Amino acid sequence: MITHVESPILEIHDLTVSYDQSPVLWNVDLSLPAGKLIGILGPNGAGKSTLIKAIMGLVPITGGYIKIFDRGLNDVRSRISYVPQRESVDWNFPASVLDVVMMGTYGKLGLFRRPGKKEKKIALDCLEKVGMQSFTDRQISELSGGQQQRVFIARALAQEADLYLMDEPFAGVDMATETAIFQLLQEMTASGKTVIVVHHDIHSAMNYFDWIIMLNLHLVASGPKADVVTEELLRKTYGGKLNLLTKVTDIIRQKDFNPLKN
Amino acid sequence: MSDFVYFFTFQDASIAFVVIGIILLGIGSAYVGTYSFLDKKALLGDAISHAVLPGICLGFMLAGEKNPIYIVSGAFLSGALATFLTSWLKSNTRLSDDAIIASILSIFFGFGIVFLTVIQKSGNPEMAGLNQFIFGNAIAILEEDLYIYGGLAILIIITLSVFRKEFSMLVFNADFGKSIGYPMGAIRLVFNVLMILAVVIGIQAIGVVLMAALLIAPGAAARFWTDNLGKLLLIAGAFSAISGIIGTYVSFVIPQMPTGPWVVVFLSIFAFVSFLFAPKKGVLSRFVARKHYLKKTHQDHLLKSIFHGLEGGKKTFAIEEIYEAFPYKKKDTRHTITNLISDNLITVDQGLITFTPKGKSEAKRIVRLHRLWELYLNEYMNIAPDHVHDSAEKLEHILTPELEALLENRLNYPKLDPHQETIPRDTDEL
Repeated sequence: MITHVESPILEIHDLTVSYDQSPVLWNVDLSLPAGKLIGILGPNGAGKSTLIKAIMGLVPITGGYIKIFDRGLNDVRSRISYVPQRESVDWNFPASVLDVVMMGTYGKLGLFRRPGKKEKKIALDCLEKVGMQSFTDRQISELSGGQQQRVFIARALAQEADLYLMDEPFAGVDMATETAIFQLLQEMTASGKTVIVVHHDIHSAMNYFDWIIMLNLHLVASGPKADVVTEELLRKTYGGKLNLLTKVTDIIRQKDFNPLKN
Repeated sequence: MSDFVYFFTFQDASIAFVVIGIILLGIGSAYVGTYSFLDKKALLGDAISHAVLPGICLGFMLAGEKNPIYIVSGAFLSGALATFLTSWLKSNTRLSDDAIIASILSIFFGFGIVFLTVIQKSGNPEMAGLNQFIFGNAIAILEEDLYIYGGLAILIIITLSVFRKEFSMLVFNADFGKSIGYPMGAIRLVFNVLMILAVVIGIQAIGVVLMAALLIAPGAAARFWTDNLGKLLLIAGAFSAISGIIGTYVSFVIPQMPTGPWVVVFLSIFAFVSFLFAPKKGVLSRFVARKHYLKKTHQDHLLKSIFHGLEGGKKTFAIEEIYEAFPYKKKDTRHTITNLISDNLITVDQGLITFTPKGKSEAKRIVRLHRLWELYLNEYMNIAPDHVHDSAEKLEHILTPELEALLENRLNYPKLDPHQETIPRDTDEL
């Protein structure tokens, strides 16, 4: 059940990704419409984060290509914002909330130049949008999980992008914050932005997303929520890994040679 | 004493030169080291500093004398080779990080010592100074060498200052930097070059064995004092420069005394003092904070037991009853009562305790938090009423007004706790 769209905002063509010798994504082929709130669902180790990292050029691609706004990544970087997983950074780093949110302006600022008043104003506005304005000068080590997540989202907002890729922004977030963030994301898509979110909770996914991608090492489904949320597709996604596929992956790893790589 | 005056008045231009050199070197290596400490790559500095020894020896052999250009280049190249090998092994083998670092360090250092022995056997009259590279001797540095070391140190300091936002990004969130199009690979490369340079300029003053301490200790010590990167770099630089000056002074006063070990001794003193006495993060202030918390806990418990007495229908509360309630803490209790009186929470008249209005409201607050928490455990976490008391006894002291409001709201302003006791509000009569 894979729905393709005309003039997609993001087109992934036959994408295969391997870590070292193990393939983690097999021949993913999908296209996504603009202005939608899109969820990537799948069990642990299904390759959800890898898909986002591949789109952002953070992991090498074994095969296939990706087009964003019908262009290569490097031509459109300033229009894309990436929110990494919260656990991927060291929150003991000596920085304030404002310092981190200001990083969102660094892309437009470029190398050498230091952020000034204009960048500070953007950062403060974005902090207000996520309801963290009273934490501006707080050390990031003192934040709770949900607050860290909101700081990351404020940083993404400060990039003033058109396409947002968020890796598990709801991990370790309480219910009230989750609802508030989803509302914010819905406002963003209403104003024409596209937001792609890696998400783990099927239940809340049903309520919020317009379009759903289901992954389990391979692409199970991609389409409007109403079309893809079926018992059969959910079972294919969450009902364990394909036995044969796992065996092939094991053989490739044991051989210490990946024939999928050129 | 005259040595001290002679050294610190800088009458001798060569001493002034050495001191300026050691200050620059100290600040430069502290800057680089602080970043690598934050990046959790402290051991890499140790590997690099041991790995420059074979390069120094080869440089010496090629030049046939202690030519600073040859030696600095040799040291830089072998440091670069070690850094490259470390990352190559990491991506091409399944060896763990610590195994790679340990192998690189010992193999390179082993080769270095072999070369050093070869040079010593060769009978080259210039070789005498070469041993200084092991433990360092700042006083023996020649003026022309200082220009090279000082210049490189200034280069390091300027580069790190100009690219501060890029290096912070590298340490905090390199993936994000890559996602906004920053050349993180090149930034990492520049950082590694700076790290090797910092080691190279330190080898003659501090020595290869101890150079890692000058990289890491200042940042580690300074981290106790601040959470601000700018201040962290300044404090680290200051610790490093001061230790450098004192170490140089010692090797000036005592002939044949190497500089490196003394610099490390003074750095260790800074680190140790920071560990013990730094505000907030130091051992002492954490100990004081804990004491303070325990005192507050005891005070809360006293107020509560008076409250319970009055709640039970007593008109007055005798001070003796309090001592009986806490039989093992007589001294603490006496002390706490004095504090309660001076804080205007209770008054004591002829052995009878009375709450002041302020004290009554504080006692109600603690009992209220205790009972609200009990009810929350019982209702929301499904814990039996006879199991909720201990947790409440410990948590009543730390629940904030915000959490209190949240509890009231969630539990819908309850009247009774799980033991059917009244949850006291400020407006209630006792």
